[in-house]
Amino acid sequence: MNFNEARKREKQPLTSRRIFLCSNMDANGNGKCPLFKLNDFFKKQRQDSDSCYPDSPDLEFVYDDTDAHPNELAELYSYTEQTELQLNVKAFEDQMEEYSLPPSWQRLSVIQRKSVVMKLLDQLEISSKPVRMRAARCILYIAQGCWAEMQSDAEQQEWTRMNVMLLYDMGVFTAFTDLLNIEIENSAAAHVAMRKIAVSLADSQDLRVILSVLYTITEVLRHEKTLESTDYKTQVDAFSNEIAVSLEEEHLVVKLLGMVTRFCSGAAPHFPMKKVLLLLWKLILVSLGGMNTLKILKEQKRQKAGVPPQDEDTLDVAKTMRASSPPASASDLLEAQNQKRNSRPFRRSLIKQSSLDDHDSLGMELDSGMGPDNGDDIVDEYDDRRPTDLSENQMYANYQYRPSSPVPVPLPAPRGLPWKPKVRQKDIDFFLENARMKFVGYNIQGDHKSLAGLPQPIHEGVKTLNEHMYISLSELQIQAEEAIARNPLSNNEQEIEITPVELLYQALLPNLPQYMIALLKILLAAAPTSKAKTDSINIMADVLPEEMPMTVLQSMKLGIDVNRHKEIIVKAVSAILLLLLKHFKLNHIYQFEFMSQHLVFANCIPLVLKFFNQNIMVYVGAKNMIPILDFPSCVIGDQPELTAQSLEIGDAAPYSWRNVFSCINLLRILNKLTKWKHSRIMMLVVFKSAPILKRTLKVRHAMTQLYVLKLLKMQTKYLGRQWRKSNMKTISAIYSKVRHRLNDDWAFGNDLDARPWDFQAEECALRASVDRFNNRRYTTNLKHPTAKWLNRLAKLSGLPPFELSTLCASVPGFNYLGEVARIRFITWIYTGGI
Amino acid sequence: MKMADGPVILRRNRPGTKAKDFCRWPDEAFEEMDSTLAVQQYIQQLIRRDPANIDLILKMPDAQDEGVWKYEHLRQFCMELNGLAVRLQNECHPETCIQMTATEQWIFLCAAHKTPKECPAIDYTRHTLDGAACLLNSNKYFPSRVSIKESSVAKLGSVCRRVYRIFSHAYFHHRSIFDEFENETYLCRRFTQFVTKYNLMSKDNLIVPIWEDESTPGESEA
Repeated sequence: MNFNEARKREKQPLTSRRIFLCSNMDANGNGKCPLFKLNDFFKKQRQDSDSCYPDSPDLEFVYDDTDAHPNELAELYSYTEQTELQLNVKAFEDQMEEYSLPPSWQRLSVIQRKSVVMKLLDQLEISSKPVRMRAARCILYIAQGCWAEMQSDAEQQEWTRMNVMLLYDMGVFTAFTDLLNIEIENSAAAHVAMRKIAVSLADSQDLRVILSVLYTITEVLRHEKTLESTDYKTQVDAFSNEIAVSLEEEHLVVKLLGMVTRFCSGAAPHFPMKKVLLLLWKLILVSLGGMNTLKILKEQKRQKAGVPPQDEDTLDVAKTMRASSPPASASDLLEAQNQKRNSRPFRRSLIKQSSLDDHDSLGMELDSGMGPDNGDDIVDEYDDRRPTDLSENQMYANYQYRPSSPVPVPLPAPRGLPWKPKVRQKDIDFFLENARMKFVGYNIQGDHKSLAGLPQPIHEGVKTLNEHMYISLSELQIQAEEAIARNPLSNNEQEIEITPVELLYQALLPNLPQYMIALLKILLAAAPTSKAKTDSINIMADVLPEEMPMTVLQSMKLGIDVNRHKEIIVKAVSAILLLLLKHFKLNHIYQFEFMSQHLVFANCIPLVLKFFNQNIMVYVGAKNMIPILDFPSCVIGDQPELTAQSLEIGDAAPYSWRNVFSCINLLRILNKLTKWKHSRIMMLVVFKSAPILKRTLKVRHAMTQLYVLKLLKMQTKYLGRQWRKSNMKTISAIYSKVRHRLNDDWAFGNDLDARPWDFQAEECALRASVDRFNNRRYTTNLKHPTAKWLNRLAKLSGLPPFELSTLCASVPGFNYLGEVARIRFITWIYTGGI
Repeated sequence: MKMADGPVILRRNRPGTKAKDFCRWPDEAFEEMDSTLAVQQYIQQLIRRDPANIDLILKMPDAQDEGVWKYEHLRQFCMELNGLAVRLQNECHPETCIQMTATEQWIFLCAAHKTPKECPAIDYTRHTLDGAACLLNSNKYFPSRVSIKESSVAKLGSVCRRVYRIFSHAYFHHRSIFDEFENETYLCRRFTQFVTKYNLMSKDNLIVPIWEDESTPGESEA
């Protein structure tokens, strides 16, 4: 690596770093940028970013539902909250003195502990707030594992576990949900916060105590649930059940999402969003389950539907894949060109790049069809010549005998493709239709089988296609929906299975669009690339102290704290969205479509792209943490003095777990939203996602790359010949890593003209199906259009439609009225009739 | 009365039953009770026989599920507490007892609302008893009276805690009503012994001083 190049590499993260910091400080809402003398800080960041450039090895990141349990607990607290931890011990000691007990939890007998908790619970229902909050703090201290008495982190963790189980048994969780209700409705606090110019930690003190207790209990029980054997199975089961099986209003998830919307509307700027979102995420995870549950559920559902199981789990396969080397960066390309210029000066021309192209590649490319040393182009020509509808065997063979491409790091050993190719019924029908038109001259609608009059090769083709046909659950669900829509009388609604997901969907349904908008607003505010705007929401309220830092060290600490805070918020939001999408999709495709359509309407696609339009390597390698300040390290044992050096003690990871996790989540969300949706894929094209995604390929992690490649694959045919030519390496990676769809001409599609360009129509048709589904399943039984009218009135009045309809049905003769008369009657009720 | 004479004993209070004949049917051994509500029937039978014999009332029959036993007792307490609430109505007005207090030290919030709030004492009493009835009859937590989920047993503690405040308010603010009621039913004593026995409340929170009074009712009984 020559010197210039090295400097260039250093420079980029450096400048972007500075922008992050400043924008953070602006977003605080206090307008002033604290004095930053951050040479040390930049030096630290520079060292970090150096280590994650292309020549570094693969990231040994293992994707999972959550990070390690201690990290998940530590991330609940901001570093600025550290001083408040002492208040918890104080509350405990005071309380113990009042009970005339020794201020040592360990020395109390189990019976005494229970009695203490019961007394504290009693105190939680007292109307005097200071007394109530003292009990709450005391319980928080107990849930935190009584750290003041502990010698080591492990010991503290063990006590946290034991205490949480005790607290849960005694009904503390329910008591704290009541407390949360009081605090949410506390309009005084909201008014104080709304009048302030800068909302700070102090405004959310009580809420944070309550949320911390709820989160600690949830997280400990969630962790317990993941263990193979646990002594606390009854508690874990009871807890998951308690969260999952609650109805509309009282569903804690709904309550928390309500907090998020209220926060975004500006009515409650003091709500500590990070804690709310973390709790929300963990509650969903506990009640609905994570990756494993999803896998098992899918298996069960497929079995029940009578379709063969899917033997490849995306996450499992992706785990065994190796990362491919990232596409060359601008500097590498220049260097390569310099070398080539020396060897073959004449065979070169400048090619105009399409506007979609990566700006990194600078528009300088070698002409195609050149010497044998240019492997990419060989692949290009080779693929061009390939017939478009290969059977699987042929394709497989082609892959096997492909000329080896001279990439610096070899692709995984050619033991075969990681995925079994798939094909949909729709594709087979299309294939048959074409063949029939060609050989027979007419088409038989709705006949998937008959091959009469078709030549032998077509028979073989159909046979192979049928072998690889994959029927997804969503297709079956859509078919069932269509059948009901066509013949509503003969096709009765199957009984809706009441699962936790179903209950959650019903609870979210009335306000789902608002929830989605609110979550995306927060994601936008927390994205590292977002600029501070005066009108944007301020998510820093629960990290900024009342007094701005005075020393360099303190500002460094706050800088890291602020960035960490944002990263954690992104992590939580991305995980929440993905979990909900996954579960809804499995439960019913139209529930998923409802949610995803609202995400798309709320501009989720450009938002995620904007998120990735940053120096992703810096983001993945960011070290926004101070291990010695993490809870519980910050309160157990000797505290080293905080210096610029000690900020770094103990962080060895070459990447940031939470940032890689968020990246994968966001990529998966993007995939979920765009898969098979032509209009949304065009959004990817229109928003110029290709260069952004290509840069994301630099992250050397197979799963991340897989999801990026999938996103690139679906839009490749719209990117133009030039793009394909200059990105052959990426195209090869897609070939080797992403599942093949038989008959799918993804790279060189010539059917562009056949595609409908009316994207609105596509979304509208989907919307109509979703609305039909929602109206039929979740609103009143009264027939259309009275039902519609009822709904509208119900929305206006705030009364649930079923209440209205029972009210109407109780009126004698109502059922004999005509449609118009009914509507008039209902309107009359609403305008003051009753 | 007539029914009790017949060969088949129907233990029912039919419409028109005279007050003196109310529930006047012969006792039945617990083992012979074969309805799903046997536990409730048994408890009520013991109470009718001698409300003062708390030890016997609280003595769980062998092979009885403890969760169900606790649940049925708490149901019974709530039902009987309505008697106290009715008596309190005449004296405890929202204008006089504007808050739920026991000793003057602490005011309690009424947890029956979505957002707990300060209610006058009599409202607290009504709300809490209604809330308890709702919870104990809720399909979600107590779908069956034959077996009870471990997780739902945990809910009993909070009901006890809230219900007990009715006793303490009555004792400290409406002593005469409390004494009259207590002498008839021994309810507070039974309740105290119940929560202590099953460790549903902390002893320190049981502020109605009935242990000292023990001797008096004990003598009158004898």
